[in-house]
Amino acid sequence: MATTLDTNKSAAQATAAPPWSARAGTALRYLVLFALGLLFFMPFIISFFSTFKTTNEILSWPPTIFPQEWRWSNWSETWNTTIPGASSNIFPRWLFNSIWLALVVVVAQLFFCSLAAYAFARLQFPGRDIIFAFMLGTMAIPSVVTLIPGYVFFAKLKWINTYWPIIVPSLVTPFGIFLLTQFFKTIPKELEEAALIDGASRFRTYWSIILPMARPALITLGILSFQGSWNNFTGPLLFLRKPDLMTLTVGLNFFKGQYVNDWPKLMIGTMFNAIPVLILFFVFSRYYVEGQASAGVKG
Amino acid sequence: MAAQSTVRRSRLSNRTREAITGYIFIAPYLIVTGVFLVGLLVYALYISFTDQTATFDRTFQFVGLSNYIEALTNTQFLTTLANVFWYALIVTTMQTIGAVLLAVLLNSKMRFKQFFRTIFYAPSVASSVVISMIFLLLYLRTGYINRLLGLVGLPDDTTWLNNADGLFELIIPGVERISNPFLRGPSVAWMAIMAMNIFTTIPTFMLMFLAALQDIPGQLYEAASIDGASKVYQFFKITLPLLRPTFVLVLVLSTIGTFQIFDQVAIMTKGGPDNTTSTPGYLIYTKVLGEGTTAAAGLGCAMAFILAAIIFFFTFLQRRFIEDQTQ
Repeated sequence: MATTLDTNKSAAQATAAPPWSARAGTALRYLVLFALGLLFFMPFIISFFSTFKTTNEILSWPPTIFPQEWRWSNWSETWNTTIPGASSNIFPRWLFNSIWLALVVVVAQLFFCSLAAYAFARLQFPGRDIIFAFMLGTMAIPSVVTLIPGYVFFAKLKWINTYWPIIVPSLVTPFGIFLLTQFFKTIPKELEEAALIDGASRFRTYWSIILPMARPALITLGILSFQGSWNNFTGPLLFLRKPDLMTLTVGLNFFKGQYVNDWPKLMIGTMFNAIPVLILFFVFSRYYVEGQASAGVKG
Repeated sequence: MAAQSTVRRSRLSNRTREAITGYIFIAPYLIVTGVFLVGLLVYALYISFTDQTATFDRTFQFVGLSNYIEALTNTQFLTTLANVFWYALIVTTMQTIGAVLLAVLLNSKMRFKQFFRTIFYAPSVASSVVISMIFLLLYLRTGYINRLLGLVGLPDDTTWLNNADGLFELIIPGVERISNPFLRGPSVAWMAIMAMNIFTTIPTFMLMFLAALQDIPGQLYEAASIDGASKVYQFFKITLPLLRPTFVLVLVLSTIGTFQIFDQVAIMTKGGPDNTTSTPGYLIYTKVLGEGTTAAAGLGCAMAFILAAIIFFFTFLQRRFIEDQTQ
């Protein structure tokens, strides 16, 4: 709705703009941008419509955009999927696992990253700058190097088929600390100094003065860490082998057959994985952009 | 005197207290990094010199450098290195160019800048699983990519993800089969995955370029326009040089990411056809989980360190090469 309104407004303005060639240039630019936008979004739209088709229709030539016959029951069949050796509500279960895992990671990261960031931004302690520089350096270490020892280590701890190997290493991340440290440094010190003189502890000033002021940065980190956990594939693939424990990203593999995939279910599962982060993104797109831009500051 | 010394002592203890608080606040980070990064790195190094398996069902021995030698003479591993080299080269180049162009296109006084930026960025928030599944659908033999090609008069029956023909086998006339995986070039299946990833990561890097472009003062362009410099000239002489730090960042991030590609391979091709889409990351993964009884953790770790060394080498070159030009 808002988009249509905007379009009208711009059309009105375009007619008011005088130079002819500039107008043609602008029109061309919009045309290119619009075509690109469509190109970037088309795969999602096509996939969404395919969730209402039969496998036969998906595999027929030429491919259709809209379903010949809308099979709404695909969605309920996917929701009620049964898998041998798994509990009966396996699909909602994957969804639930993905959600609570993401929430745990978000809460943990917001707390531990902000705590460390406060220390890096405000407190004086020996080795602070070296540790901070070391932390930034570790962000360039390819994660593939810790894949095997990680697996071996977690196997020794008997952590395979538990959520610990996924949660514990991502309780606190260099990126999160970096993002929040940069933000905390922009908050004026005077605010805390008054509280400190009144005898408030460091933790208290962090908790009741800095955190409320850092809301935009916390939201940014919260969104990015939610997305990271929700989209995580490698961790669950390595450590969660029982269907009941799996998250949506790896559970979907059950819809891939040896020879033929169960296409409607596969695409519906894909939509369940895509839609929450897309909604989050459209609601908070400003924060996404800020997060990405501050990742750029590092260079 | 006495009063002064108490003041000094309390100041000192204040400072100590602040330091202790600081360490308590960063303790969770230090523990997590100490165990799961530094600890595991040291452990990986240690394992790489042993004949350790991932299952620990027997005692293991030190084997010196033999894992590294075995990795470097292992044809499967060398094939994955060749694959991932082509992948990193092509994907990094194409997505950087694409990201700059898109950012320049968006960076002007225009309406709906926000709107377009949001639309372009949307595919980047979807998981690798989502993207892979959607492109499995698009790349079907009866899929939309073939349909699109057919509509513009091109062959429309390619089995994209099953085609092992190498790029150079296809474009060099008279060449039938090249056995060397490096000289053969990326296979059709591999190029299909490249195209997908170029498409989905352009927006991420576009945002970084866009942020950098917005920091370039407009006066620079105004002055250049007054001096009669064309738009193209301005792009090459003002925009590109000022974007240099962003180029380094984007190239380094892209190199680190592309050399480690894993998810898409695991979901879409499992390394096939004919190993032409297998990557070191995927090979290492199959080593860990052991296809059958050959879970060679030591060899896998050696491979991981070789890959990390290659990544460091290339990112070092990029930093050196691009930053040096500033002086």
